[in-house]
Amino acid sequence: MDFAIQDTEEQKEFRAEVRAFLDKNVPPGIEHHVDPNDQPVDQYQLRRELGRRLGAKGWLYPNMPTEYGGADLSADHEMILNDELARIGLALPPYYDSGGRMGGPTILVWGTEEHKKAFLPPIFRGEVRTWQLLSEPGAGSDLAGIKTTAIRDGDHYVINGQKMWVGSAHGADYSWTIVVTDPKGERHKNLSWIMIPMNLPGVTVQPMEVLATGGEGGAGGGCKNAVFFDNVRVPAFNLVGGENNGWKVATTHLEVEHGGTGRLADRRVIQEFIDFCKETHDGYRIADDPDARLQIAELHCEAEITRLFALRNHWLSHAHKPRSYEGPQYSLRRKLSSLDVAERMLRIAGPYALTKDECWAPLRAAIEYFQRDAITSLHPGATTDIQKVIMARRMGTGGREREQAGKLR
Amino acid sequence: MDLSLNDTQQLIQDSAKDFVHGSCERDVLLKFDRGPLTIMDKHWQQMSEMGWAGMAIPEEFGGSGNSLTDVAVLFEELGTGPVPGPLFTSAVLCARIIMAAGSAAQKQALLPGIASGKRIFSLAYTEVQYGWSPERIKMKAKKSGSDYVLSGTKLFIEDAQYATDLLVVAGVEGGAGLSVFRVDAKAAGVSVRPLTGFMVGQAEVILKDVKVAAADAMLNTGDQLARGLLQAAPILCAYKVGGCKRAYEMSLAYAGERKQFNTVIGRFPRVQDHLINAVNALDSARWTTYEALWKLDNNMEDAAGSVHVAKAVASESYVRATDMAHEVHAGIGVLREYGLTLHTKMSRSLYHTLGSPREHHRLLERALKLVA
Repeated sequence: MDFAIQDTEEQKEFRAEVRAFLDKNVPPGIEHHVDPNDQPVDQYQLRRELGRRLGAKGWLYPNMPTEYGGADLSADHEMILNDELARIGLALPPYYDSGGRMGGPTILVWGTEEHKKAFLPPIFRGEVRTWQLLSEPGAGSDLAGIKTTAIRDGDHYVINGQKMWVGSAHGADYSWTIVVTDPKGERHKNLSWIMIPMNLPGVTVQPMEVLATGGEGGAGGGCKNAVFFDNVRVPAFNLVGGENNGWKVATTHLEVEHGGTGRLADRRVIQEFIDFCKETHDGYRIADDPDARLQIAELHCEAEITRLFALRNHWLSHAHKPRSYEGPQYSLRRKLSSLDVAERMLRIAGPYALTKDECWAPLRAAIEYFQRDAITSLHPGATTDIQKVIMARRMGTGGREREQAGKLR
Repeated sequence: MDLSLNDTQQLIQDSAKDFVHGSCERDVLLKFDRGPLTIMDKHWQQMSEMGWAGMAIPEEFGGSGNSLTDVAVLFEELGTGPVPGPLFTSAVLCARIIMAAGSAAQKQALLPGIASGKRIFSLAYTEVQYGWSPERIKMKAKKSGSDYVLSGTKLFIEDAQYATDLLVVAGVEGGAGLSVFRVDAKAAGVSVRPLTGFMVGQAEVILKDVKVAAADAMLNTGDQLARGLLQAAPILCAYKVGGCKRAYEMSLAYAGERKQFNTVIGRFPRVQDHLINAVNALDSARWTTYEALWKLDNNMEDAAGSVHVAKAVASESYVRATDMAHEVHAGIGVLREYGLTLHTKMSRSLYHTLGSPREHHRLLERALKLVA
């Protein structure tokens, strides 16, 4: 076995190339806010600019096909890009792009050639920003229970309904949306996915203030949104994967979302917290307290397991190994272990873990944000209960045939 | 990066699987559990012939010089049994201690016998004030001319009843630090008494004025001893991974057959939760263990920290996985002839071996440099 993400000569060259590229192309003036809610619009724009520059080289979605704007690079190359961006406090993509991250690979599997040509290059080149629209006021865990309709009318679908918990701050160009195309149809056989331009008449975006955003590797925005559709006319071409075939299409989308591919972004705050406990502040060192030390050791074990699950999933998906329950297992682990780690931090650091005060908050209030984020992260991409439901199916409990993981590229 | 087994490891896994599903299958293990038949009567010979006792020993000392990961693959399969016996204690733990602490002459004298399976070593480390930190060792060897004399009680000693030789850990009167003494298990003054109860293969070892020749002493080898323990620990973890795996698989299979309320119980979310907890315990133990092995095989600086994580996690996981298996199986699970309790007992029996999770957390504190 080899757990090393070790650079070969060729990879070393690539890393140097990436580093040189970033040195030259990261726009000056990028600042890092622990709480994405504090990030002003010009910071978002700088990240979009970096996205376009990465996209022009195919490096925004590096393992997507070159012909659609990716670079056909291997997992290892993607990891290097991730590493090098993480080194300067950024993620890949450097901004919240859920519709691209989950929708892109899904369109690649389920779209026609025309769909791929029309939708993928702008996403992969960073020219557009795309949100995913799934949840509704009456449909969270029960995704198949959505009510937003898309009714065929000539060359268009007419969309009506409301989506919730969408995107982040500063709007989007497209929304990759699951809708009901056959309101009288059988459950699971009445759904479709459609790409909706957000500038169409009848689309309204209304921000929702939330505790934290559970951002994508630090790239989240500061809020979630409700999106309303009022007789929005979308070209029929934009429906991807076949009318009423949306539940099947969703398996790919959800496989990406449920951690099937494994995220490698370490929770840097955990290492920073451990280092903080080793420093002397005002004559006191947290790690001198034996109880705190023990808590930190346990916290480290928790974090190691989570890191290894992510690493395993990354390897499984990129080495094209068969996967079953591992995606939801990692998601479940990440959610529950973040909450556990956050609570341990609270026990160890006391009220210092809760303050955002400029004078008193340690680590630029990264612990305070983690307290909120760990709670918020319990629900996006399906609750822990739903992760367990998926896991059980994939494990084949109750003598059932083991459900296969969603199709990935 | 590649987390799959290589060809050598596949072969090791296959032959170990044949053994666990063949000549050492459940009914045989149940006989060992009841006694008086033991694994030594017939199976030890078979295991030795397969070269298993020499895997963790270099070729120059009669072994096959496999990587620790190779050895772990064997022990993971044996753990699915769980196959009891002194293979781990003798051919991994004591062998690695001798390799780390022994002189060239001692290695040459002792290791080939271990590798062939002819000699069986047991580590007499822990005492009445049980614990694996060096401070818990109170026994002191007395100097007598050029020889040493050992007296005292060693408690909860794994597989001592099968041993031809003991490695006794003690201080030396007037000196600091620990030393390792090889003692003939049949020597005058040595008595070994197997302990009964909810434990497997542990014994009381009493030493009464036992003479040890200078040639059998590995003096002032506390650090080397610690290195041997560190290398052996993740192999024991792999054995626990195998145990978790079997406990999970038995539960999954049972939940797919057993019907209550006209439904197979695996359809009930409460039962699924137990199965999910079991598979999570299994995978937590598996990946922390194999990463630690990989770090040891590659002499990586931060290997120690990973071993402590693995040992803490694997010990908890094995107990947890068997607990979950009992939740799923209810009554049938505690029926001795069903076989689950072999794992339940083993998970408890090995929980403290080579250091409890708490002790490894404390060692981890040092590896993480939390202690100033």
